[in-house]
Amino acid sequence: MKDPLTQRLFFLFGLLIAAGVLGALLSPHFLQASTLGYLLQYVPVLGVLGMAQTLVMLSGGPGIDLSIGATMSLVGLAIAGLFGMGVPLLLACLIGVVIGALLGAVNAFLVCVLQVPSLMATLATFFAYSGLALALTSGSPIGGIPAWFGQLAQGRLLGIPVHMWTVFIPMAILLHVMLSSTKIGSHIYAAGNDERAAFLSGVKVWRLRFALYCLSGTIAGIAAIMTLSWFQAARPDAGEGMELLSVTVAVLGGAHIFGGIGRIMGTVLAVLIVTTLQVGLQLANISQAWQLAAIGLLLIGSVVADNAVGERLRARARRAPT
Amino acid sequence: MALVVLCAIFASQSEFFLTERNLTTILRNSVDLAVICAGMTIVIILGGIDVSVGGILAVAAVLIGRAYQYGAPDWVVILVGLSAGAALGAINGTIISKTRVPPIVATLGTMYIFIAVLFLVIGGVWISGLPNTLSFLVIGEFAGLPSGLYVIGAIYVFAWLLLRRTPWGQRVVAIGCDEGAARLVGIPVNRTKIQAYALLGLLAGFAAVLYVARMRNVEVNIGTNIALEAIAATILGGANIRGGIGSLIGALMGVLFIKITQNGLVLIGVSSLWETVVIGSLLIIVLILDALETRRIS
Repeated sequence: MKDPLTQRLFFLFGLLIAAGVLGALLSPHFLQASTLGYLLQYVPVLGVLGMAQTLVMLSGGPGIDLSIGATMSLVGLAIAGLFGMGVPLLLACLIGVVIGALLGAVNAFLVCVLQVPSLMATLATFFAYSGLALALTSGSPIGGIPAWFGQLAQGRLLGIPVHMWTVFIPMAILLHVMLSSTKIGSHIYAAGNDERAAFLSGVKVWRLRFALYCLSGTIAGIAAIMTLSWFQAARPDAGEGMELLSVTVAVLGGAHIFGGIGRIMGTVLAVLIVTTLQVGLQLANISQAWQLAAIGLLLIGSVVADNAVGERLRARARRAPT
Repeated sequence: MALVVLCAIFASQSEFFLTERNLTTILRNSVDLAVICAGMTIVIILGGIDVSVGGILAVAAVLIGRAYQYGAPDWVVILVGLSAGAALGAINGTIISKTRVPPIVATLGTMYIFIAVLFLVIGGVWISGLPNTLSFLVIGEFAGLPSGLYVIGAIYVFAWLLLRRTPWGQRVVAIGCDEGAARLVGIPVNRTKIQAYALLGLLAGFAAVLYVARMRNVEVNIGTNIALEAIAATILGGANIRGGIGSLIGALMGVLFIKITQNGLVLIGVSSLWETVVIGSLLIIVLILDALETRRIS
């Protein structure tokens, strides 16, 4: 329990249970088996975006990707557009993911090569991408996605949505293993903790960050495929609000905004908490305004709590230098 | 410089661009953003950022609307708007300075909360048909010049004096350059931060007064883009997001740049949907040029 990160996970787990209890108290419909499937329907898209955001933040800099939602919208439109022009859907998806990676590479170039602060660079690409998504479609969605494609995000396996099994869980495990037991993972933590020390000990800090921004775009592309399957159409505003929500999830999950601290498990728990809260309030017919307020309070509260715990641990460490 | 080029392009493409009427329209549309940008520049120089100004503007505007509906006189309405803005800004500042939550996270959180407050007060319905007793602040004319010009001028002269001619302004710059050092030499960092965020809130409240005076209604989605636009304008104007550096005049140029782009695109017949693309691309270009410049110097 001395490890603040483990403490954080327990804290989040408690919050998740609290959110569940709150949902159950607010609405008699919450404790039904069908709620679980409904709730998990919302998890994967925000979940993978949150994980991408966590990785970008972890590598320090300070890193942030505000364009992640806009990238997702744009890739969704590209896939639907390509499909409309006669490209086979699966090939279109593949191209879409590549486009996502390229859009991420633009961020990577701005941040890592030109050394523009990430907040500014991705704010600019956020404007450009989301504007492009609106302008290219005049604001109307592109439909015509075949019904079989809907299986990915609408189908259920053992009562749990298919994209939980096929995308969210594998990606969470993959990224978790990458962070905790590979050289790349320890390099990411090193770069986030102390850029200079990492550089001096041979970590190619900026090449690493470049790759992570590209990865963030790639993951946004994958998220676009899931929303496409879910709505059966590509909406130009599909990713609206996702940039802020993914930051919220990453920070709530314990990722430090200046890098070096954070875990995929925390982000996964945070996504579950946010979604449980949203669905619980939604089932209880409580206005969307309260959902926003709850997320805002959670975001600030979790960072404050985190700082307080960290302070106490440091104080304890000072008193007992062994 | 870029501003002149931009104007020349639009002027050559549309005969309406340089008419007095159109320029006045641009000015009127710029007033709220310009007022907020003065505060945003100070906060960015301080090394902070505030993405919740849209929320502050919205809450202040909805309170102003309600005050009007209760039949409050103008001076009460203005007071309500200003004090609501300053109070919300002070909340941001307090959270940021006392709890050490990074400004972008803190204001992200308060933005959610402010928007929630907006929804709860407004109840999903527009407030419309508000009186036009304050419209002279934006729409009126004084000595042959549109009154918006005087408002912007007054705000920027005030902000410039505050930033460049008072000890408080020096403290802001010092904190932006090196917060730790500022703390060590005895500058009241926390208090200065709270004051700066409260000032930005106050200006957002004032922008809300101007907004209501101009539009005479309060919509549900008020203020959604203004935070990003304000940050973009400030950066276009040469402020460094890391703090310490920034220019009020530059920010004002940034505001005009954004608003003229929006206006000009409509006039030359490009769909207004493209405006975000253009602003985003311009921002990217400015950032690249900046980066190359910095590299050349170092």
